[in-house]
Amino acid sequence: MSENILRVEDLHMSFFTSAGEVKAVGGVTFDVRKGEVLGIVGESGSGKSATMLSVMGLQGTSGRIKSGKIMFNDEDMSTMNMNEIRGRKISMIFQDPMTSLNPVLTIGYQLEESLRRHKWKGDIHSRALEMLERVGVVPAEKRIRQYPHEFSGGQRQRIMIAMAMICEPELLIADEPTTALDVTVQAQILDLMKELQKSSGMSVILITHDLGVIAGNADRVLVMYGGQIMEMGTRRDIFYSSAHPYTKGLLRSVPNPDMPKERLIPIEGQPPDLLNPPKGCPYVKRCPEAMKICMNQKPERITLSESHCYSCWLGVKNNA
Amino acid sequence: MLSVENLKKYFYTSNGIVHSVDGVSFNLRKGETLGLVGESGCGKTTTGRTIIKLYEPDEGKIIFDNQDITHITQNEMLPFRKRIQMIFQDPYASLNPRMTAGDIVREPMIIHGIPKDEHDDRINHLMRLVDLNSEQAGRYPHEFSGGQRQRIGIARALAVEPELIICDEPISALDVSIQAQIVNMLEDLQNQLGLTYLFIAHDLSMVRHISTRVAVMYLGKIVELADSDELYTNPKHPYTLSLMSSIPIPDPDKSDSRHHISLKGEIPNALNLPEGCSFHPRCPKAKPECRSLDVTLKDIGNGHLCSCPFTE
Ligand SMILES: Nc1ncnc2c1ncn2[C@@H]1O[C@H](COP(=O)(O)OP(=O)(O)OP(=O)(O)O)[C@@H](O)[C@H]1O
Ligand SMILES: Nc1ncnc2c1ncn2[C@@H]1O[C@H](COP(=O)(O)OP(=O)(O)OP(=O)(O)O)[C@@H](O)[C@H]1O
Ligand code: SF4
Ligand code: SF4
Ligand SMILES: [Mg+2]
Ligand SMILES: [Mg+2]
Repeated sequence: MSENILRVEDLHMSFFTSAGEVKAVGGVTFDVRKGEVLGIVGESGSGKSATMLSVMGLQGTSGRIKSGKIMFNDEDMSTMNMNEIRGRKISMIFQDPMTSLNPVLTIGYQLEESLRRHKWKGDIHSRALEMLERVGVVPAEKRIRQYPHEFSGGQRQRIMIAMAMICEPELLIADEPTTALDVTVQAQILDLMKELQKSSGMSVILITHDLGVIAGNADRVLVMYGGQIMEMGTRRDIFYSSAHPYTKGLLRSVPNPDMPKERLIPIEGQPPDLLNPPKGCPYVKRCPEAMKICMNQKPERITLSESHCYSCWLGVKNNA
Repeated sequence: MLSVENLKKYFYTSNGIVHSVDGVSFNLRKGETLGLVGESGCGKTTTGRTIIKLYEPDEGKIIFDNQDITHITQNEMLPFRKRIQMIFQDPYASLNPRMTAGDIVREPMIIHGIPKDEHDDRINHLMRLVDLNSEQAGRYPHEFSGGQRQRIGIARALAVEPELIICDEPISALDVSIQAQIVNMLEDLQNQLGLTYLFIAHDLSMVRHISTRVAVMYLGKIVELADSDELYTNPKHPYTLSLMSSIPIPDPDKSDSRHHISLKGEIPNALNLPEGCSFHPRCPKAKPECRSLDVTLKDIGNGHLCSCPFTE
């Protein structure tokens, strides 16, 4: 067995809409190691959710995986029964908890349902109570009989975490789990996730657009843009020696904690339209260092170290 | 320029009285940016909307340019509305989908009786000011990205040459790389046009960046207010301390070495306000007497205001 829990290889995924084919994921390759927190950062529409929905087999009727391979524990996922995997081996937490909680069922019923479906061996009621206590929704005996609308946003997100972890998954995919929350509650939820991750040894994919959340919580980071991976490395690689012009631009566009009043340096322009993605590098329209070749040809992935790689023609030129 | 004194705005709902704004006081100086921060539901938007009298205040005073506008009629308010504009949080919901960008920017000019023959020139000028081109004036909101829509919202707010703009989370819905574009634009416009901003936001590092002074709100009250550098480097109120220690820092080493003060529990809702200092159920430094304490903002030196009496 390898040390990877998940491997995604050259994944291409599109949504077919009335306006045409949205090439949401355009050739994505990465691993998730056992016991690590992999952070994924990128702007809205860069394909973060689409990649993860593909992994979960939840791309919907309009979404289609066109090519690529997804391996879970070295096994090809296209041969697996996803109903047995989902919620049991891999769980997902969505940005808006209300979309994944059923408003007319008690949270207790919903927690226990997941245990029933996956044929949990022990007592399901006491397992549900235990999880609620662990995520701090107390007194659990009382709260377990309540409905989703009786909880605040932060509490609902805790319940989502309890639900995602109740069957002890090996991989937890958290898609912007704290974006809708305030900083104090966000800090509580992230601490809770870290603690549960450490004690259970599961792997976590943490999707966020907040560079601060990534810096504080991810072991490794994947930077996405226009449906592709621009750069990948440990958080130190990414924050202290970023190589890709997009990563550099992103880091420059937030206030510097040491010089908070310094004028910001935005990335000019808009992200690409994935209905008509650029032929070459997806960042070409906004990149201050774009060259002719960037327009027409996709840059290759360049390895900088064992942990650090990026996709950009600048690196090819420098290496030559 | 603007002075708000003991402002209160309650909502009477079937569940009871919501104390959304519960005695807010501050002054806004000409040309400055006052940041207003605090958790969701603490009353930031209601404060902004009450100042421009989209809501009728229940108590307190709003003085704009030495004139009391607290209880004037909507008609009497019209000339003030021209001078005080608001930019809204959601660039998707705040623009009428059936109007072109140009007509959206034109609307306040019609309301405020700006001569018709000036409209087109002004629209062209405003579109350029917010980095859109005049050709785009004929397009509809859905044809623009989030950042571009927020620019249209800004152009609309600028259309009648206001002096004060209440920016309610103008960048929250935007991507990091686009946020910087809008913040730079707001700063440039402030310098060019001498604007004053009340800047409401969640993102505490962006608020520090843009604000001259910052006010921290908790459950309808301002609990601390100071110059922005002072507030961020020397916070005094226990709530501000925990807020500052929860800001995600985009730097792994700094993030790891930082000690964060976590708060117990969730924000209570504005329906059942705790007695005494309303922060006491979550306050790491609460003492028994805090339950019955009458807390008010006090100057603790150099214009640094704090409502907690137990600070070192
Ligand atoms: N169900 C869908 N039907 C059609 N297009 C879709 C659908 N879901 C996503 N897309 C499109 O696919 C692209 C990638 O979207 P995705 O949701 O993966 O982005 P994201 O990186 O998760 O963004 P965000 O930060 O906004 O969540 C976008 O262009 C988006 O508009
Ligand atoms: N029209 C209304 N009727 C009843 N209650 C309201 C109304 N508007 C706001 N409230 C309540 O008043 C309180 C303050 O709301 P407000 O929108 O001012 O908060 P906020 O600080 O702007 O929050 P956010 O950061 O989420 O925008 C909340 O408890 C809210 O539910
Ligand atoms: S490949 Fe070209 S356009 Fe893309 S990031 Fe590198 S230099 Fe810029
Ligand atoms: S008055 Fe008491 S409860 Fe309120 S902030 Fe100060 S110490 Fe905390
Ligand atoms: Mg997403
Ligand atoms: Mg608000």
